[in-house]
Amino acid sequence: MENKKTNSRRKFLDKGLKMGLVTAIGAIGLTKIASKLNASPDETGSQDKMQLMTTDGTVIEVDSSEVMEMDHSKKKQTEEEYDVREGMPNRKFVMVIDLAKCKNALKCQTACNKQHYITGDHAWLKVYKMQEDADTAPYWMPTTCMHCDQPACVTVCPVDATFKRRDGLVLIDNERCIGCRFCMAACPYSTRVFNWKEPNQGEITMLMDMENQTDHHSADFAGLPSVKGTVDKCDFCPHAIKDNVLPHCVTACPNGVFYFGDKYEDTVTNGEETLRLSKLLEDKHGYRLMEGLGTKPSVFYLPPVDRLVDFKEGLESFTDYKSVD
Amino acid sequence: MRNQLITRHFFLVVLSVFLYTSSFAQDRVRLKAEYVKIMNEGSYFDIQATAKVNDENVNVSKIELIIYNLVGDEQVEIGKTITNMQGKSRFKLKDLNTIKPDSSNTYNIDISFAGNDAFSDASKSIVFKDAAIEAKLVTIDSINYVTATLIDKSTDSLLIGQSLKVQIQRLFKSLPIGEEFNETDEDGTILVPIPEGIPGVDGILAIEVILSESEEFGTVKTIVKAPIGKHVVDESTFDQRTMWSPRNKTPLFLLIFPNILTFGIWGIIIYLILNLIKINKS
Amino acid sequence: MKNYDKLLNDLAPQKFGKKGVIWTISLVVLIVLGIIAYIDQIIRGQMVTNMNDYALWGVYISNFVFFVATSFVGTAAVAVLRLTNNNWRTPIVRIAEIIAVAAIIMAGITITIDMGRPDRLMNLFIHGRMQSPITWDVIIIPTAMMVCILLLYFPLLPDFGLLGKYYQEKKPNLSKWYKRLSLNWTGSDTQKSIQIKSIQIIAILIIPVGFMLQTIDAWLFSTLYRVGWDSTNLGAYFISGAAVAGIGALVTATYVLQKVYKLEDYITDFHFDKLGKFLVLVCLIYLYFNLNEYLIPQLTSKKGATTHINVLFVGEYAPLFWFVIVGGLIIPVIVLLFRRGRKPFPMFIIGLLVVIGSWWKRYLIVTPTLLHPFLPIQGVPEEWRHYFPSLHEWAITIATLAMALLIITILVRYVPIVPIQKTADEQEALELNKNTKS
Repeated sequence: MENKKTNSRRKFLDKGLKMGLVTAIGAIGLTKIASKLNASPDETGSQDKMQLMTTDGTVIEVDSSEVMEMDHSKKKQTEEEYDVREGMPNRKFVMVIDLAKCKNALKCQTACNKQHYITGDHAWLKVYKMQEDADTAPYWMPTTCMHCDQPACVTVCPVDATFKRRDGLVLIDNERCIGCRFCMAACPYSTRVFNWKEPNQGEITMLMDMENQTDHHSADFAGLPSVKGTVDKCDFCPHAIKDNVLPHCVTACPNGVFYFGDKYEDTVTNGEETLRLSKLLEDKHGYRLMEGLGTKPSVFYLPPVDRLVDFKEGLESFTDYKSVD
Repeated sequence: MRNQLITRHFFLVVLSVFLYTSSFAQDRVRLKAEYVKIMNEGSYFDIQATAKVNDENVNVSKIELIIYNLVGDEQVEIGKTITNMQGKSRFKLKDLNTIKPDSSNTYNIDISFAGNDAFSDASKSIVFKDAAIEAKLVTIDSINYVTATLIDKSTDSLLIGQSLKVQIQRLFKSLPIGEEFNETDEDGTILVPIPEGIPGVDGILAIEVILSESEEFGTVKTIVKAPIGKHVVDESTFDQRTMWSPRNKTPLFLLIFPNILTFGIWGIIIYLILNLIKINKS
Repeated sequence: MKNYDKLLNDLAPQKFGKKGVIWTISLVVLIVLGIIAYIDQIIRGQMVTNMNDYALWGVYISNFVFFVATSFVGTAAVAVLRLTNNNWRTPIVRIAEIIAVAAIIMAGITITIDMGRPDRLMNLFIHGRMQSPITWDVIIIPTAMMVCILLLYFPLLPDFGLLGKYYQEKKPNLSKWYKRLSLNWTGSDTQKSIQIKSIQIIAILIIPVGFMLQTIDAWLFSTLYRVGWDSTNLGAYFISGAAVAGIGALVTATYVLQKVYKLEDYITDFHFDKLGKFLVLVCLIYLYFNLNEYLIPQLTSKKGATTHINVLFVGEYAPLFWFVIVGGLIIPVIVLLFRRGRKPFPMFIIGLLVVIGSWWKRYLIVTPTLLHPFLPIQGVPEEWRHYFPSLHEWAITIATLAMALLIITILVRYVPIVPIQKTADEQEALELNKNTKS
């Protein structure tokens, strides 16, 4: 009887191991296929004729210079191809938000909504009208995803759909997300949004459909397209920073509120001025939101002191019930 | 894969044709051009094509520009370039010797656009002399400085009273160091201290000394690689076993204890099921 | 054997009467309505619910927590009473086991209803991460389900054997099924010894498994930062609350089954009296943890906690909150302290009150907390500041409750509610006792 018992246990273990092996082999196979799909096609030089097949199957010939390259097909050919889940080596992206300069112009939000084709009712970037108590001063506080170094949202994700990269970014793979919304409950900054219905992203949907065909669906392409039943959030614009371009909110802000940069380079810039991060935080007494929770955000705030504009001026564009047009 | 790419390109062709025909005929193109020389690397022209369409500034993409060198009364074509989606183009000069200056050692370049269905012709001329910056790293009293000398190559003389920018190359925008304007002294030289503790990958800082958009010389830039930076230390927890790691980097205690419990309980469950089988057989 | 005949006549599952048929059909209708609503939810997305980016969990989750809690009756009533050697448990354990099985199955189903992408359910196994409390839940729910089913099945073996014989001539088809399910039970000594040993193991096993299930369920909330969830009290709070929900459900079901199947000879006032005392005990323990959960934060009165508690005590959720605390806990305790309160009918009313209170209690644990995040709710539609389930959510939730009741109904149709063999053995022992005494 003892013998039987061990035997069956062994069988069970054996099965388990086999199953694991099969899964592993499957996974390796899939990655292989994926990498093949990602491999760059031969570059066709200018002045060449190019044969293109139309959707109805006829072949036409055009001068290749007539063909506009799309951003991403170009990107594929660059050597900076990197693992979306690992991110860029030797980088740690941080943001500094100077509350003294913010007057709720909302250009950041408009740019973000537009660039990310945000369709829900809850913008990724919000400017809060903050006043902790009746006796304390009010101020405007823009919030993005904090891209925490100890992200509570990533900890609770059951399927590794949201992940933390080496370069500090917290991104979402919306092809894997199961829509349990545990990450939303875990985030103390209420930064995550959910696609409650089929997101209608206009003409971009068509473009993205083509993207899907070429297996381009990737967590770092502006989180596009949004997928019904999955979570979205501010992504620190990896599609831009990969090309050394600042995130949209940073460039859109007319008041230079947002500074963005690489912590390892000790440098942040708002597009106008470029400063040493450590000195800026020291001089202006930078802090982070809810430090006590131990999330270690990548977004620093400079306190709203010596403000250039009156708080009240921002009230004009403040809408309590709307953040996406 | 290939087919899909082609389909996509086809779509773009259709889109671009559509864009071309729908825009108003014959808008004026405005060209902006800048001459940039990077020491030991070469020179190039940065060209930007814009047009006012319906009172709105738009970038003119995919137009062909021809670059000419004016020698005496003669226009010598030195190359062609096509603007990109943002209406920008960078035309690289392999060598300054491929173009010829006039008697005063000044180079005259014309960039011209022949015009097409949508846009009328346009041209832009730029004039520049050759200048050079020689920069190096010096250490005085254990403080690191970058020193740079600005030379007018057309006359082989030092340039005095020109202001140079010194900055450290960074991912997005370079970090300026020294004064806002560092004017060259009577030796055509500046001396700028490098602040301590600036980090760089492997401790290497790429310091740029720039003569920026000078009317006479265009932009001249030199890059000094200085191994004086603080080494960048990767603080990321990416390689560690943390609560926020993917599953192949799960903390060990989270693998050990739940698995002991799970397999323990399921072991008992299986034993119980075997008992059912035993009951069935006896 | 003549003894068995009477027992079998009394206790063998009976065909439904008219009422039973109507009951079953209404349950099926409710389930079908819920399934239609769910299909609509899958097609259109969860926009059909009233959940939003702030109230990101709603009645689906609270309903799930309720089912998980109710399944604790298996641990509370069966295992604990067994280990404490409370012999009065015999006629009610089967009901408890049935409720536990129905509740845990429904818990597994309801949690997937809340998922935005149920089509990606397999990702939980393909990409599962051990760091996530959801993964712990994914492991413990099937485990608990298995243990609950075994806990129901093992003691049933002799009864199935008896029923197989009982129906041999009357209904040969049914008899065949019972015989098959009885796993050739003959009552031989080897079979008996294996069975008794196994039951002993399960009775012990279900205690850690039940505790783990409730604790993990609590940890789904207490591992998050939100005010009202971020509490070290939550594990114990959930376990004690689960005992209340489970025993409440047991009391209600026992009364109904006693009446419907006319089991007054087997389930007597004595059993209700004992159950009533047990219910008082678990209610008092739960009240104690409620005190910890609500009064201590009020004493230190941190800003977030005060807001949260004010909403419950005097704000938007006050009527519901006080209904749950007073109606679902305090009144039951007071009534059940009196001997007359522990008579079957008052017990039934109290049990119902406790179950309804327990259900709304889960709602109060999930919803108000989400509506008070750390940063103010701004820049979202006004209605996002409140939450009340939509028609779809109600239809689906009611369907899950109906489904649980249907599982119970089907089980009590084919499974003897009062263990026959065990009752026979006990009666025999009693008789033997009497004989030796006289």
